Amino acid sequence: MTDASMGAAVPRQTKSILIEDARTKKRNAAERRFRAYGLAAICIAVLALIILLTSVLGNGLSAYKQTFLDLEVALPAEKLDPKGNRDPAEMAKVTTLAYGPVLQQSLVAKLAEMGLTTEASNKDVGEMISKEAAATVRNYVLAHPELIGGTVEMNILASGRIDGFFKGRVTMESAALDKNTSPEVLVIAQALKDAGIMKTRINWDFLTNPDASDQRPEAAGLGVAILGSLYMMIVVLVLSLPLGVAAAVYLEEFAKKNRFTDLIEVNISNLAAVPSIVYGILGLAIFINFAGLNQSSPLVGGLVLTLMTLPRIIIPARAALKSVPPSIRDAALGVGASKMQSVFHHVLPLAAPGILTGVIIGLAQALGETAPLLLIGMVAFVRDYPEAYSSSTGLFGDPSTALPVQVYNWTQRADPAFVERASGAIIALLVFLLCMNAVAIILRRRFERRW
Amino acid sequence: MNDMRLIERAVDMNDTKISARNVQVYYGDNHAIKDVNVDIADKTVTAFIGPSGCGKSTFLRTLNRMNDTIDICRVEGEIKIDGEDIYDRNVDPVQLRAKVGMVFQKPNPFPKSIYDNVAYGPKIHGLARTKADLDAIVEGSLRKAALWTEAKDRLHQPGTGLSGGQQQRLCIARAIATAPEVLLMDEPCSALDPIATAQVEELIDELRQSFSVVIVTHSMQQAARVSQKTAFFHLGNLVEFGETGKIFTNPEDPRTESYISGRIG
Repeated sequence: MTDASMGAAVPRQTKSILIEDARTKKRNAAERRFRAYGLAAICIAVLALIILLTSVLGNGLSAYKQTFLDLEVALPAEKLDPKGNRDPAEMAKVTTLAYGPVLQQSLVAKLAEMGLTTEASNKDVGEMISKEAAATVRNYVLAHPELIGGTVEMNILASGRIDGFFKGRVTMESAALDKNTSPEVLVIAQALKDAGIMKTRINWDFLTNPDASDQRPEAAGLGVAILGSLYMMIVVLVLSLPLGVAAAVYLEEFAKKNRFTDLIEVNISNLAAVPSIVYGILGLAIFINFAGLNQSSPLVGGLVLTLMTLPRIIIPARAALKSVPPSIRDAALGVGASKMQSVFHHVLPLAAPGILTGVIIGLAQALGETAPLLLIGMVAFVRDYPEAYSSSTGLFGDPSTALPVQVYNWTQRADPAFVERASGAIIALLVFLLCMNAVAIILRRRFERRW
Repeated sequence: MNDMRLIERAVDMNDTKISARNVQVYYGDNHAIKDVNVDIADKTVTAFIGPSGCGKSTFLRTLNRMNDTIDICRVEGEIKIDGEDIYDRNVDPVQLRAKVGMVFQKPNPFPKSIYDNVAYGPKIHGLARTKADLDAIVEGSLRKAALWTEAKDRLHQPGTGLSGGQQQRLCIARAIATAPEVLLMDEPCSALDPIATAQVEELIDELRQSFSVVIVTHSMQQAARVSQKTAFFHLGNLVEFGETGKIFTNPEDPRTESYISGRIG
């Protein structure tokens, strides 16, 4: 009976299988279309990545090079040590304002010695030297008071405009309209470069220097931001890894399934979607206003980012735990392991690669987060390196800034030299991220190799 | 009264290892096991047979409280091992499971070395004082599980790299390494080919020397081959329990006869 009704309902296929019928053609076409969409999506993604990388690298790599000039600086005693007693305390009263003209004098003298004549005023010539250079020389002199009265060979920063000229950012045309430089000065700069006095070389100070003011982009560096980000990541890692994994293990393996745990679960999912700036307000209210921790400190930043990262660690960690086959749990319980032994000896190690991936992604997001840090004062201009521990502010309590905040900060400055700096900072941030991912991959390999 | 129980217990020690009285198991509102009474003898193989979903695996798992891991599962009645109620409030299921080992349907070795698989149980129960003790336990267990000759040269390679039959024997070795008194096997051969099945069956017969073995199986031939006692479950009821020979040749209950002759299930 079944056979008869089947025969009536379904007509027999009589055509050759060598010829595509209309349905098959349609299906194959649909499959081809789908593949094309997929390929197109990947191409767009790759293109976007390439554009991003070329733009960032193109703009930012030059931040790792800087123009310096080798100058014999005459150190006149009457200006730098007016009392003439070589007392460091007295000499320290002479500010950088007095060193600027000294450098200007030395450079003008150098030009005269080379036989270069220019219409530019001595003041304009002096502005070829970075304002930072005065501080460099002053520090050097204060450290070596015996040099006063003689000359000293120093490698000092050229100003941002001159640096921009050699990097192609400043041209003769733009210099003509620029109040801070002039075509005549650029001609001298070119002559100095040809003479080998001015050199553009790799500048690792960009990674170690603290931030600098608006007037001296050439001296600005990422040191404080890198240290701040590093300290924050330490705080985030130390707090969110154990807390997140413990929460995930408890919820997944030990908690009874009831309405309360359902509620917690929904809330964790919701927290992962809360805009990060909200965490910033929360951190401001709780950690700074209520708990009285220091503003702008990596400790508060780390705490805020921990709050933000926790749900983003718990969710993938739970997924990783869930994906461990139940047969492993049964096997452990079957030989008489306790619940905790089965979790810590078998389930957790098997879930570790997945958990680690989640943790690293969470940390990477935290590393790139700007908005909550703005609210807790990390957007401040910080010139002093934070210390991991200082007796006055405690652990990670020194004010600092963070890499993404530094980028944000620099993009807001007026001098175009900061655009290059911001891109350079983005490169540092990307390298930071790549290192973290590399660590994640290495750790994952380790864990997997153990079986 | 007390004296009476002592005598009773002495008798039990001789032949009854596990005695179940009026056991009811509920999954939420679902009454999965209804009023099961069974006495499982020491040093014998007892087979549980029955159609899918009849509760034989559920009942097996109540014997070492593996059902505890399921939140909605509730057990009533009394199950005693050597006269001790395993659902007593003072019983730690962990200790119980060291005493009542279990082998599962799918071979589930830990993703660790063969050695670590077998050594895990003794380690967590503190059965070995020294490395040499542990080595001896591992070797003894693997020998008993008829895996020693195949595994002795690859003890530190992952257990998951073994073939299916070898993996199941590894799981048996792991279960007997904790020196249990009862070994529960939940369809241990359903994922194995006939050759591996034959090896495992042979092994079960040898294990009878030292353990009380309870095996759940879908294969009636297997039950007939390896067991001395057979229990037939149907829809949560223990329909018939007795000598294997009798169950297969001369069952009392018509449902048993129908199942054995292939009319139901």
